[in-house]
Amino acid sequence: MRTSHTLRTGITTLSLLLVFVASCMRGQPDGRGGTQPAPPEEQEHVVGAGADRYTSGGGSDQGTIGLYPLNINIFEGLVRMDAQYNVLPSLATSWEFLPPNTWRFELRRGVRFHDGQRFDAEAVKHTFNLVAEGGGGTPGLGEDSTEIIDDYTIEVTPMFENRRLPQQLVHPNYFIVAPGTEPNDDPVGTGPFKFVSYRPQEEIVVARNDDYWGELPTLRRITFRFIPNDNGRRLALEAREVDMALDIPPDAVGELEARGFTVEVGEPGAYEAIYLNKSGRSGYTILTDERVRHAIGYAIDREALVEGVFEGYAAREQTMVPSRLLGEAAGRIEGYEHDPAQAEALLEEAGWMPGPDGIRQKGGEPLRLELIAGFPSAEEHGAVPEFLQDQLRRVGIDVEIIRTPDTASYEARLDRFAGDLWLEQGSQNDANPAFLPALLFWSIGLFGNIGYQPVFAPKGRFDEVIARAVATPDEEELKELTAEALHILIDQEAIVIPLAGVVTVNVLDQNVEGFEAAPSGLHNRYDTVYIAE
Amino acid sequence: MVAYIARRVAYLIPTWIGITLLAFFLVRLAPGDAAHSYFVRVHDRQPNQAELASTRARLGLDRPLPIQYLDWLGGAVRGDLGTSYYSGREVTDELVSRFPATLQLATAATLITLVIAIPLGVVAAIRRNSLLDHLLRVAALLGASVPAFWLALLLIIVFSVELQWLPALGRDGLQHLVLPALALALGEAAVVARLMRSSLLEVLGEDYIMTARAKGVPERRVVIRHALRNSLGAVVTEVGMVFAILLAYSAVIEIIFVWPGIGRLAVEAIGQRDYTMLQGFVVFSGTVFVLVSLVVDLVYLWLDPRVALAQGRGVR
Repeated sequence: MRTSHTLRTGITTLSLLLVFVASCMRGQPDGRGGTQPAPPEEQEHVVGAGADRYTSGGGSDQGTIGLYPLNINIFEGLVRMDAQYNVLPSLATSWEFLPPNTWRFELRRGVRFHDGQRFDAEAVKHTFNLVAEGGGGTPGLGEDSTEIIDDYTIEVTPMFENRRLPQQLVHPNYFIVAPGTEPNDDPVGTGPFKFVSYRPQEEIVVARNDDYWGELPTLRRITFRFIPNDNGRRLALEAREVDMALDIPPDAVGELEARGFTVEVGEPGAYEAIYLNKSGRSGYTILTDERVRHAIGYAIDREALVEGVFEGYAAREQTMVPSRLLGEAAGRIEGYEHDPAQAEALLEEAGWMPGPDGIRQKGGEPLRLELIAGFPSAEEHGAVPEFLQDQLRRVGIDVEIIRTPDTASYEARLDRFAGDLWLEQGSQNDANPAFLPALLFWSIGLFGNIGYQPVFAPKGRFDEVIARAVATPDEEELKELTAEALHILIDQEAIVIPLAGVVTVNVLDQNVEGFEAAPSGLHNRYDTVYIAE
Repeated sequence: MVAYIARRVAYLIPTWIGITLLAFFLVRLAPGDAAHSYFVRVHDRQPNQAELASTRARLGLDRPLPIQYLDWLGGAVRGDLGTSYYSGREVTDELVSRFPATLQLATAATLITLVIAIPLGVVAAIRRNSLLDHLLRVAALLGASVPAFWLALLLIIVFSVELQWLPALGRDGLQHLVLPALALALGEAAVVARLMRSSLLEVLGEDYIMTARAKGVPERRVVIRHALRNSLGAVVTEVGMVFAILLAYSAVIEIIFVWPGIGRLAVEAIGQRDYTMLQGFVVFSGTVFVLVSLVVDLVYLWLDPRVALAQGRGVR
């Protein structure tokens, strides 16, 4: 024991000493910065990205190198999405809906792929047929969905009634690839950057496309280095081995800012929320009582969550999808004030009275809930489960935290209804506000039963409203109906308790200018970035 | 001796089959579902039951486990370890292309281990119970106790972030090798230094050393010419194991230093439920481990032919 203590003391002393020595040697920020681009030969940029999650595909699935989830602007879609979730022209200049279920796109002229091929309707058909071979994706593209009207006009008729095609086509999965090329060996698109090289799990390199149809990027070359470890990306930035690090954990931001780095935070592109199992199956019956569900909503101090757990890098939103996607209709969703007294009153009304250990009881049974954290991964939630455990305990609810090792295990539990509270972080990767509510909570589902509906679907009026939202061609009505569906889900049924809007935090060297973080990292653009003098 | 070598080589076959069985079935005992993970990643949403079933069929996961195993084993015998569920690339190609990086790291770490450990062990032995010996013992204890990941981060902070003397991440040249090899080697060097010390002390207590001293052979010559050579036997034998251990430990270091080796590949495969990659890694690294052990045994046999004789007589 003594040896162990001595050893610990020794190690602690040594590390403190080394850190002290290091801090004495620490250099000051070099004061670079400015708004004028540096000379062209200096326009080389290194980005520290997360793990390499590209796939070469296989079978009917397309490869995703350069495309998804790290979109490095080699490819472009017919449309693109801005930070406000507006759908903007890209390779299509305009589009219109032709009832009953067809979309016509006018294509941009004078665009060439990086290999010199002309971009035209054939190229779009080629890409959409590849998507069809892989199952059709979210838009439901089938083998016969794409019809060429002329060289620069196509019509797309999804396999099912789909009013949201343009909003869905902003996703990189539907970006246009050059016909006759092999995306795994030599990704060829029309984007502002051309593929140079790819070393799996090490780096992917692009160079400026000097024949780009739009405004030419200033950067001549970008190297994206895959650095899976959060701390590794941070250290790479501090060691000046990368000029920009994507997705830095909030707890590291303060010190980086103090050392002169620039922090670029996107608008919320994801949300943190709890879904409440009200099915009453497999013995998980406590949350069948609506009063207990609402009490949980009131018990949570979101201000403390944002400041304490997210270090201020989160939005106090309670909408489940980013509020800017809903526009003014977002006001329809009320959410929950932090009101522990109200929470306690509701619990007592539901018959849950304080026990000797502070945990409420009813009929001798403690008010104990299981919280499952595992989507998209347990790590993604950081300390949120413990925060919730603490908050709920303050009103007399005991929470057991269960972290699942992956999404499949998480959903296997879901199939067994095994859990009360399900902590999720969902991403809004396209411009369709109704996508996630319809995918997860609509009893018939956008793609059938994906395991969520038997546990969470409120049915009744929610189904009516979300069905209308999915079916309407009118954008404003879509926002209003989606907001109404979320109002039912959150305020009335308390099946979803939103916690915060999640943002991505990117950190840049002082001399990197022009980067604007997109709400969803899939939509980051690098053609506006430059190295300043 | 030939019979011993033949028997030793023949043992490799059941050992290798055992490795493939463990690799295949242990990976499948882990929680998770490769088909589900694959679908979510490719399609950016959760699958319904029909989509999950079709993905399982496409990945060949819907067949009975023994059939899957035999199919995979047949490929493995021919050097085809299948296709990664995650990246879609050939597992054998991935492992073969990454192994040189791990080999380079483990070799450099082994050399550093020896360069540090042998002089330290010798000094500690000949200055037994001196202040220097005590200091070295504490240093060895520290080296063996400090987790490699902590040491790795400390090295990066000091030498890359603050001093900016050495690169922190990646593998672009010899200068990139220094920090990861050091982080990997220091812990093992401490262990080998202790082994060197005790081995040398044991030899220094032998009668022939006393005789040499009695004959007036200078102490330096006694240590270097007579004692050190004989005490190195145990250390040299240990080097094979050290090398194999460093190969295995390299995963943590590869993750931290973004070193493109097979250890990092394996750790990422675990997170991605990439069964084929994990199986491939276990079989590949298991095979390397077994071959290194064989080489060590053969070297030992060459050094001391009595081993074969003892084995032939059933002496353990």
